[in-house]
This record gives sequence, C-alpha cells and structure tokens, in this order.
Amino acid sequence: MRSNDELTSSRLSDEVLVAQAARGNNAALEALYDRYASTVLGLTLKIVGDRAAAEDVLQETFWRVWKSADTYQPQRGSFTSWLFRIARNLAIDVYRRRNTRPQVIPDGDDAASVLEQTPDPNMDVAEQTQSAIKHKQVRSAMSSLSSVQKQVIEMAYFYGMTRQEIAEATGEALGTIHTRARLALQKLKEELERQKFEG
Amino acid sequence: MDNHAEELLPFYALDALTEEERELVEAYLAKHPEARAQVDEMRRAGSALPQSVSPVEPAPRTKAALMARIAADERARSSAQSQPSRRVNRYESFFRSFSLAAAALAIVWVVVLNVQVVRLRSEIAKLNSAFAAQSNSLNQIIQKLPQTTPSTTITVSLKGTKVEPNAQGQLIADPGSQSAVLVVTGLPPLEPGKTYQVWLIANAPVSAGLLTVDANGQGVLIITSQEAIGSFKSLGISVEPQGGSPQPTGDIVVLSDL
Repeated sequence: MRSNDELTSSRLSDEVLVAQAARGNNAALEALYDRYASTVLGLTLKIVGDRAAAEDVLQETFWRVWKSADTYQPQRGSFTSWLFRIARNLAIDVYRRRNTRPQVIPDGDDAASVLEQTPDPNMDVAEQTQSAIKHKQVRSAMSSLSSVQKQVIEMAYFYGMTRQEIAEATGEALGTIHTRARLALQKLKEELERQKFEG
Repeated sequence: MDNHAEELLPFYALDALTEEERELVEAYLAKHPEARAQVDEMRRAGSALPQSVSPVEPAPRTKAALMARIAADERARSSAQSQPSRRVNRYESFFRSFSLAAAALAIVWVVVLNVQVVRLRSEIAKLNSAFAAQSNSLNQIIQKLPQTTPSTTITVSLKGTKVEPNAQGQLIADPGSQSAVLVVTGLPPLEPGKTYQVWLIANAPVSAGLLTVDANGQGVLIITSQEAIGSFKSLGISVEPQGGSPQPTGDIVVLSDL
C-alpha cells in the first residue's frame, strides 16, 4: 500500500483517490482528509456554531466517504460537491436537532484570529496554494453579490432554510426571495467563470 | 404549476426545498430536460459556497479517531473475508482423505498427515500475517495517542448493563491526564439513525464522543476531556440519535465506576 506522502506528493486527482479508498486503501482516504478537512471544518463550524460538534461532524463526514466511496459517481459531479454535500447535510441535521440559532462566525481576517488558523501541516505546499487560490476566488465572487443576494443564498445553503423561512426572517415577499436567489446564483456563476474557478 | 417549479429551481440547486417541493421540481425536470442544464449550472455555483468560508485547522485527535475507526473497520473486513477460505480448506481436506481411503488405507494415512501438515503450515502463515496486521494497526493507533508515562497508566474494566449483558470493555488512561483510550466489545451494530455515545460522569454526564462499532461488535474511541480523567466517577455508554445528544436519552448499555 502506498504511503500518504506518496499519495499527496504525486498529486493524484480526487477521483483517483476516492476510487482507491473504495478499494479499501486507507492512505487514499487520509490524503483526501488532509486535502479537504480544513475546508469541511470551516463549513461545519459555520453551520453548527460549536467547535466540538463541528469536529464530530467532520469525522462523521469522512467516515461516510470511507463507507460509501464505491457509490460516488464522477459523472454526476465533482468529488468536492459530493463531499461538501455530505458535510453540509450532517451539519444541518445537528443544527436542527439542537434547535438553536447558528452562532455567526465571522469570515475573513476576524475569523482567522478567532479560530487561530494555522496552515495544515499535512497539506503540501502546492495543495495549500491551490486551496488558498480557490478560497480567494469564491470570496471575490461572493463580494460581487449585493448584501441581500448574499444573505438569501447563505440562509438557504448554510442553514437549510426554506424559501418561506427566509421570507419570514427577512420580512420580504416570497417573490423577492425567489428573484434574489436566482440573480445571486447567476451572478456567482458568472464571476466564478470569469475567474476560471475549478471546483 | 410550471411557473412555480421554475421559481423553485435556485432553491433546488441549493438543496433547500421541502420534500414535497423537491418532488415537484423533479417531476418538472423530467418533463423539461432542457432545464436540467440550468439547474446543473446553478448547482455548480452553489457547490462553491463552502469555499467562501475561512478554512479551520482540525484538532489532530479528530484525524486520529477517524483513522482508528477505519483501522478497526479494515480488521473487521479482513476477518470476514478470511472465514470462507477456512471452510474451503476443510472441505478440500475431507474430500482428499475420502478419495484416497478408497485406494489404500496406508496411503491415506500418509496423505492425510501430509495434508494436515500443509494445512497447519498455511494456518500458521495466516495467523502470522493477521498478527502482523493487528500489530501494525495497533502501532499506528499508539503512535497517534497523546504521550503518557507508562508507569501511571491504569486500565479499568467496563461491564455491560442488563440491556447489553455481553458488552465489556477497557478504559486505558493516565488518571492525571485528559485523554484515554476506550476499547469496547460485544455491542451490536445499531440501526441507521442511531449511534453509541460515551459519557464521563462526575456530578453530571459529559459527552466524551460518539462510538462506532464494527460488524463484530468492537469499537475504539480516543477520548479527550477538558478535566482530568481521574476526576470522573464513572463511565457510561448510551444509545442516542445520529450525531449524539447533549444529555443521555436512550438505553444505557455500559455503566461502570472508574
């Protein structure tokens, strides 16, 4: 079995790694963890608002990847879409079970100081750079949205709020919420394409 | 109805619809395949959203616990795979003995003895291989554990309650440290949507994490507590909904004094 160092340094694609994990190669799963754990934890922490619970969801997410790697179908979407969807759904389940409002963790520089971020020692330099570029591209694309557009898609995506719940929370008409969501996704798509973002 | 379904597409792409609304959109997409490309584009944009959040470096114990869980799963898989081959060997051995007995009793004895020797050698090789694999997995877990002084490490035996009388386990810890290793056997795998949750109890139960058991009923959990392990009076394991609970709500399957 190949070592984790060999798997990361050889820059195998996500799809190759998940296929190897499906055949029982735990080093491949470990390489995927090293590549995406910090992004997944950022996501789950934003949703559940509690560090310990967010780490539990992180572990459960990669456990699900390990157990169901053979069900992943590359033709239906990228590995990261699949991974983030598992993490997001698990985190929303935890958030709903607790029945509390999410603790808003600020993004950007404030978050960096709050969460004491450090570079992941298991991620190689190329991966760190690539990850940083992707985060920067998506943040830049998000900054092109108006605050109300951003609010609608964040409420829907991060907290799984329905259209009606968003309308109620913002005091806007349902039709307005529909329009904002559609325009927000359209704008986000255009900005990501303009920046040649590769999921 | 179609207009309504079109309004729902962005929320479908963001996976934020009720079940009823989702079914309505899927029926619409089945009738209007041209809308599928539009949804896929919106979904691709939505799937970038996690990367708008600042990444956060996980605690090393999260990865250690995950890899220990996977190592236990691998052991269970290899154990399950080795069982059929042992059955085949027994059948082969029986068939060989029977055929040769018909030829000559004396030869049978020689052949049976030879077969026995070969089979025993094969079993020894398998056991050596399994032992090496177990040692390797154990070493991996040990390397990832917080360092403790061997002389202060204690082992506490744990027993199942009336609900799971076959359950038993061991908690290995330095009472002065804030971490421990829990090894449990004899707990049946749970139905989907349920999980075992471990509790350390002083005055009130404090969650020590979720425990997953393999097909053989074995589970390993690396516990990290905010208080010294020795400050707790007992340890319990309960059955909880997936993701765990703030306090124990389900059947208590293990409960022992520390």
